[in-house]
Amino acid sequence: MRRLLLFAFVAFIAACSTIDCPVQNKVAVNYAVKTIVDGVEVKDTLTDTLYVWTTRSDNDDTLIFNRGINISSFSLPVSYTHPEDKLVFCLVDTNKVAAIDTVWLKKEDIPHFESVDCSAHFFHTLTAIRSTHKAIDTIFINNPKVNYDSSLDHIHVHFKK
Amino acid sequence: MTRLLTIFTSISRSKRWLVILITFQLSLLTSSAQGFLKFERDSVPFFRGFAVSADLVGLAQMQLSDYGQYEGALRINLHDQYFPILEVGVGRANHQNDEVTGITYKTSAPYFRLGVDVNIMKNKHAPNRIYAGLRYGYTSYKVNINRQPFPDPVWQWDTSYGVVDEPCSQHWAEIVFGIDAKIAGPLHLGWSARYRNRLSHNDGQMEKTWYVPGYGIQDTSNLGVTFNVIIDI
Repeated sequence: MRRLLLFAFVAFIAACSTIDCPVQNKVAVNYAVKTIVDGVEVKDTLTDTLYVWTTRSDNDDTLIFNRGINISSFSLPVSYTHPEDKLVFCLVDTNKVAAIDTVWLKKEDIPHFESVDCSAHFFHTLTAIRSTHKAIDTIFINNPKVNYDSSLDHIHVHFKK
Repeated sequence: MTRLLTIFTSISRSKRWLVILITFQLSLLTSSAQGFLKFERDSVPFFRGFAVSADLVGLAQMQLSDYGQYEGALRINLHDQYFPILEVGVGRANHQNDEVTGITYKTSAPYFRLGVDVNIMKNKHAPNRIYAGLRYGYTSYKVNINRQPFPDPVWQWDTSYGVVDEPCSQHWAEIVFGIDAKIAGPLHLGWSARYRNRLSHNDGQMEKTWYVPGYGIQDTSNLGVTFNVIIDI
């Protein structure tokens, strides 16, 4: 009996701990490029080149998506706690002519906690999106929940042909 | 049998755990009817007194790490065979400014576990005992989770992160295996190993918590150990 007590003490001392942070821990908004064929929304491929900028807190511009060509989807970062992100989409065609649109994305921000060992993240619920219409024909929210799930299409965007 | 398996796999995970517990209890009762756990017929009285105990593992955790619990228990001895038990305690976590993530996590709340142990030794009235048992546990607690403001990686705005006094709660079940050795007079020492399984939980708006008073580090299940100083009264 006393050996069992000793065993219990040794087992307790030898106990180990693990850190279980999710491997997929990127939170981004996924945009799917779409078009309408025979009244049905289908996947489209962008033949022009896409650049996306935003403006930082110090009023400097920063490029957040560079040279997207022949793409059907893309991911953009989302601000942690700013109520509305302003994004500038620049679409350059094969003749080097640029069309620039501004996209405003409203959202609610939810602090997300995994463990004290895992870095702080925010999940988001998209509430509204609007844009100018130089190159963008239509843009709308398809799935408002932005979290670690990278398989979701959050926003569908239709570019003018 | 196939139909039973279909029903079993179709119910949710937490309910499945309840079914296992109920089945275990029923099997005990059935075994009892067959004589395995039947009260032995002897001259020893049915009511054999109380015992109080304190857990030293939780105390050591509290002193050596940034979470742990102060826990005591009151156990009734029924014929040295059945031991209804109430365990109560206060669990605390105070993890300050994690050196990697910068996160601070604080909670302090009471909890209880209610259950019964069965002495599975052949000679029930021997001074040493081996137990198997079940527990139901519950805690209602509030957490403070925060981090010093930090810059958004793209936009560079200062970002605040955290919640204050977020109300959370948890129900859980435990399967217990333990040993109790008589040292001298009314003094016993004993340990128990526990498999804990979460039945239901409310983790507030952040959807997860870390240390849950009485349960340990948050997960769907975990293992726990207690080392008890027990005094018969």
